[in-house]
This record gives sequence, structure tokens and C-alpha cells, in this order.
Amino acid sequence: MVAHGRQCKIEGSQATARQTAELLRSVISQQRVPYTNQAGALIDAVKAVGEQLIAANPVELAVGNIVRRVLHIIREEDLSLTTAAIGELNLSAVSDDENDDDRDGNTTLSAAAVAAAARSTLRPPSLQTLLEDTPVSAAVPQTSSSGAADKSSRSRKLKHDVIEAVNELIQDIVTCHEQIAEQAVEHIHQNEVILTLGSSRTVSEFLFAAKEKKRSFRVFVAEGAPRYQGHLLAKELVARGLQTTLITDSAVFAMISRVNMVIVGAHAVMANGGVIAPVGMNLVALAAQKHAVPFVVLAGSHKLCPLYPHNPEVLLNELRSPSELLDFGEFSDCMDFGSGSGSPLLHVVNPAFDYVPPKLVSLFITDAGGHNPSYMYRLIADYYSADDLVVQRRAIAGN
Amino acid sequence: MWHRSASFILDKNQNDTVYPADSVTLTPPPPSSISTPQNPNPNLNRNMSMSAYYQTRAAHHGVVTSDWLAQSQEAATRAVATGGQEIVDGGKSGRAFSVIDEFNNWRKQPDLAEAVAAIRALAAVIRNSEAKTMMELEIELKKASDSLKSWDTTSISLTAGCDLFMRYVTRTSALEYEDFNSARSRLIERAEKFGEISYKARKIIAMLSQDFIFDGCTILVHGFSRVVMEVLKMAAQNKKLFRVLCTEGRPDRSGLRLANELAKLDVPVKLLIDSAVAYTMDEVDMVFVGADGVVESGGIINMMGTYQIALVAHSMNKPVYVAAESYKFARLYPLDQKDMGPALRPIDFGVPIPSKVEVETSARDYTPPQYLTLLFTDLGVLTPSVVSDELIQLYL
Repeated sequence: MVAHGRQCKIEGSQATARQTAELLRSVISQQRVPYTNQAGALIDAVKAVGEQLIAANPVELAVGNIVRRVLHIIREEDLSLTTAAIGELNLSAVSDDENDDDRDGNTTLSAAAVAAAARSTLRPPSLQTLLEDTPVSAAVPQTSSSGAADKSSRSRKLKHDVIEAVNELIQDIVTCHEQIAEQAVEHIHQNEVILTLGSSRTVSEFLFAAKEKKRSFRVFVAEGAPRYQGHLLAKELVARGLQTTLITDSAVFAMISRVNMVIVGAHAVMANGGVIAPVGMNLVALAAQKHAVPFVVLAGSHKLCPLYPHNPEVLLNELRSPSELLDFGEFSDCMDFGSGSGSPLLHVVNPAFDYVPPKLVSLFITDAGGHNPSYMYRLIADYYSADDLVVQRRAIAGN
Repeated sequence: MWHRSASFILDKNQNDTVYPADSVTLTPPPPSSISTPQNPNPNLNRNMSMSAYYQTRAAHHGVVTSDWLAQSQEAATRAVATGGQEIVDGGKSGRAFSVIDEFNNWRKQPDLAEAVAAIRALAAVIRNSEAKTMMELEIELKKASDSLKSWDTTSISLTAGCDLFMRYVTRTSALEYEDFNSARSRLIERAEKFGEISYKARKIIAMLSQDFIFDGCTILVHGFSRVVMEVLKMAAQNKKLFRVLCTEGRPDRSGLRLANELAKLDVPVKLLIDSAVAYTMDEVDMVFVGADGVVESGGIINMMGTYQIALVAHSMNKPVYVAAESYKFARLYPLDQKDMGPALRPIDFGVPIPSKVEVETSARDYTPPQYLTLLFTDLGVLTPSVVSDELIQLYL
């Protein structure tokens, strides 16, 4: 898969995300885990593969997102297993040693207290837990003294749980279009005019779903130079019976005053709510803001990236081949790099992406519902752990 | 004034009425002491009270001016004479424990945050208390915390720190600690550790902000914040090339002190007067400020001048980053600048001002959240809407 990634054979973030998840699932199931610190071994294995995958395709942020989500899943499952084990242990200890009430403080912690503390460690750091430390770490030596049979069943259980959770993740990735499209009826009303740019599968499913529910609306499609994928989208929409108007990207400002809502897809959503979208999107967003038109971005949760755009790891853009702008052969005399008279005067630049700042976005619709850009941190805190932001193996094993 | 929930107001009224009956004091408090504002430094000459919080900050970070020095001398002698207030339940003669004195002692250390001093003082209350049940202890702590808060109503992190600790106490007592003594020792231990937490918080914030400081950037800084100092120190240690524009920060002139510290780290510094911010804003890449308090809307309360700088930065599309620890989140929602209690700080103009000329002496302003880009806290890098979320989780 690394070779495929390097040659960009897999197009589209959904397909990439799914392949990554399936690959990591097979890595996990093949990994041999030692008796102690199984989570650490799994995390190391996933990080090793993840590093290679990210390096192969740094522009496709979905790869990094999925790697980090799998790591978060491993940590969560490990913690929930540990607390369950401690809870059982404490309950049995309390029932056996009812007379020894004044033993060391660890065993007098009731199961409820331990569970409460563990629940707090699963969540990201918050004001509530600011003053608490983790009593779970104090109770861990208890588990190490338990029998060997207990441990081997735990190790199998961890892998099993993790693989189940990764399967759920893959299922989510595959069905993200349907879940987003379900929300279409709430946002598209009768006799509205929708503007979109280029072609995004999420947007087309969204519009089709609204059409199914018998909403009648019109769509303006900006063609999305230089790949002109807007033409394909326009064909699909017409095939479904939607009234469509095709315009050039430069005409967006002229037509925006007739539009009720802008609905677009995204390549990635950053942690501050900014959007990396196909080139030309910033133009549309600015036009929408000027005319007070809501700018709605549809993105599956695998596109949600915990990094900020200032992060040096994030490549905001990718320069594609200039042949998409000019055919080979045209202007060949201006662009002759081979001639000995120094660099040519004509450069052709073909960036693939645009960055849209969060203040231009009105609403994000993800498979987890609709949110405004400043709420993105919440979804990120749910899906990712802070330890995994840098996916690089460290010399020491463990979290 | 302060936006509090009803329960706070009810408790305060009850405390005021209950108080005179119970207390046994060494120095009999004058009956009017309850009604007058518990300010440590009422300036009788000019009929204007000075905010203790900003006085302390000036003591730590500002350039000392002569008339301020005279005021502080006066305050010190006055504090010794009155001897603080008795907090402990009545009946214990011979014990002169005062939470306010304890707090003042802690606060004097320049490296210690306000909230840490408050929590340490409350820990001392627990240690010195003779309560036998959690309810008794909680009531004592509530009294102590209320007296601390009313002693200096202008300090937001003090209020927030007290509230956070009270909340933690309530939640801890709800967990099943069968033994009162173990619960009490746990509370004391966590309170002592809070100093470490605060220190760690600064480190975490410094680490999180490293990615945002790139080589060759120009940073504008306002006021002397220890957190921002930590951020810049770590960036300098990581061998990043950046330069700092530092406002003077009248009337404390804390900017001068900051410029000194930065020069020691070999960071190129340029000093500006406060009015020169708009003039230099186009060469600035980002603005970094600390916060005295972070309010529920996601805005910040900081030294006077912050709002101005945020407005200029916003109009020129420069990001404004706030570095604040999470225990500064406060349950306030100011709607405009005058919505907060006044925190006054006399200004020395260097020349005598005729008495019919009024002077605006407020020491702080409120910056609404739409002018802030990101908040760097020990809970992570957050957008301003996080604050109300965290507060809701904590209090509701």
C-alpha cells in the first residue's frame, strides 16, 4: 500500500482512509503481543507502519487521521480493560478482607471511586480533573500480582476489542456519505438556489438525498478549473432531474447574489476549523461572506485533522502538473528549460488546494451532525489523543 | 457588578449576618469593618481605593515609582495594625490564624500565581481546622474562601482559584472516602500539589505554542505575563530566530521589565510606547498576550491596552494568541467594559494634575472573543468557545 500511496494510485480521501484502516487492522491482528504492556507493543507497531504511510503520501491528511484514530482506539480499549480488571479486583478484595479496614489506602478505595477516576482519565484534560491525580496508577501493582491465566485472557481480549473498534471505524468511513446525506432535508428548503464548486461525492449524495425527499431546488455548478470536474457533476445532477446552471469560477462573484446557500466538500478540516479545499474555494467563501450567503462544508469525520495549519508537518498545498493548464507543445518555446540561456521567463503553477479560514465557514456538516467551526475542537478531543499528534516512534516502549 | 448565581448571593448574605455573633478575636474588629470594603489599602487622601491585585502585580513586575512606594509603606503598616480577620469558628481563643495573612504571604513570591497562593492559603485553613466532619470542613472553607474573595474583589484568578478548589472539595467529599482523616489529608496533599500543577501548566502552554512561532517571525507582546515569558524563553532555548516588539505598558511600565528579561536571553527586542502599536502593526506576524482572567464568553480580561491592540490586530488580520492557564477560567460574562468591578490603579503623570481634572485609572479592560484567534491553555490549544464548555462541565 505504501507503493500505491507514493504513486497516488488511490484517489480520494475516503478510499485512502478505508485502505489505511484495513491495513492497520491486519497489522494489529498479526502483531504478537507480550504479556505485559500489550497496548504499548500495539501502539509501537501501528506507529511504525503509520510513519511510513504518512511519509509516502503527506498531502493526503486522511492517512494521518486514521493512524491517529487507531492509536486512540488502542489507548481507550486498554484503559477500559484495565479499569474493569481493577474494579473486579477491588470488589473481590473488599469482600474478602472486610475486617482489615485500616490497610493501606489503595484497597479502601471503593470500585465506584476507581471507576470515576478512570472515566476521568479517558477524557481529555479538563478543569474538573485539574486537581486530581490518577489513583489508577497506584492500583496497578495490584493487577501485576494476579494470576497468569487472568493475564492471557486479557491480552486476547485487548486485541479482540481493538479489532472490533477498528471494524466499527471502517464501517463509519464507508457509510459517511449516507449519514451526511440524511441531514440534507434539514438544510435544503423548497425553491432554493445552491452553489457548489467542482465535484465532490459527498455533495452529490447530499443533493440527491434532498431531491429524493421531493425538495425542488436549483444548483449552480462552478466548473472548477483546471480539472473541470464541475462538468461531470452537472451531468450527474441533470441525470437525476435537477435544474442545473454551469458557470466559470470567475463568474462566482457575479452570480452569488442570486444564491441562497453554498454547499461544498473539503479535502481536510484542520483543528482550528479551517478548511483545505480544492483550489478556487477561498474565492467562493469570500464571495459568500460579502453577500451574507451561508457557506456550508460537508466533511466525513475521517477528514478531521487534529493538527493546526501552522504545523510544519502539514503540507497545505500540492503543485500538480502544468499540463493541466497548457497542453504539451503549446508555449514550448517559452518554457524550454533545456536551452542554455538560463531559466525561462514563463512559469506555470498549478496548486491543487486552497485554505479557507474558519471565520468564513458558517457550518460544518459531518457524520456526527452539524457544528460551527469553533466547536471542532470537541470532535477532535473525542476522536484523538493528545499523545498521538506526533506519529513517530520513540526509543522507549509504552504510551 | 459581579455576575453570580443566586446561591452565591444567598450564602454571602447569611455569612454577613452570622459572622458577628461567632467570632472571638484578639483585636476587636470595629463593627463597621464588615460593611466597608475589605480593601487593604484605602487611600483616604484622594478618596480612591487601589486594587490590591494590580498593586501586587506592579510589585512583582513593574518599575517602582516613588509615590507608589509611599502608598505601599502605608499599606504595610496599616495591615500590621489591623491584624486581618478571624475566620475560625468561635470558641478557640488564643489562635490568631488568618487566611488573608496566609494568602498575602504566599502572594509575595513573584513566581507564584494568584490562584496557587489562594489554594495554598485554603490548604492552610484545612490544616489548622479542628472540624470533625466533611460538612464542617466545607463550611469553614466556604467562609475562608468568601473572605478571601471579598478582601480583594478585583482579582479574577483569586476568585476562580477559590471556586475551583471549593468545587473539588465538594466533589471529593462526595466520593466514598470512609475515613475523614484520609480525605482531609488527601485534600491538603492535592492543594499543595497545585503549585506544581500550575508550574507544569506553564510548561505545557510553552510547548504547545512552539509550533506557532516560526523562524523569522515578529511577535508583539503586551504587559508582563509569566506565561508568555515562559513561551518566549522556550522558543529562545529551541534556537528559534524571532524578534519581539514590546509595548511599554503604562502605568506599570511592566514592558520595560519584560524587555530586560528578553535582552538577557539574547532575543532582539524593540520597545514601543503604547500609542505606537498601530504604527508598527504591519510588520508584526502575531500578537501574544497573557490573561488575568478568561471569561465565559471566551474573551479575556487583561492589562489596560489589550483591547486596543486586539482591535488593531484584527483590523489588519493579524492573529491574537492568548496564553492562560485553565484555572483562570471564571464565571463572569461582561457585556461591556464597565460591567466588571472597578480595579483602580493611580497613575503618576510626573507633573501635578489640577484636582478638577479626572483621571481614568482603571487597570484592566475586557477583550471580546471575536478579536482573539486562539487560546493556549494547559488543556490544549483551544478556540474561545471552549471556555464556556469547560465551565459548564465543572459547575453544572
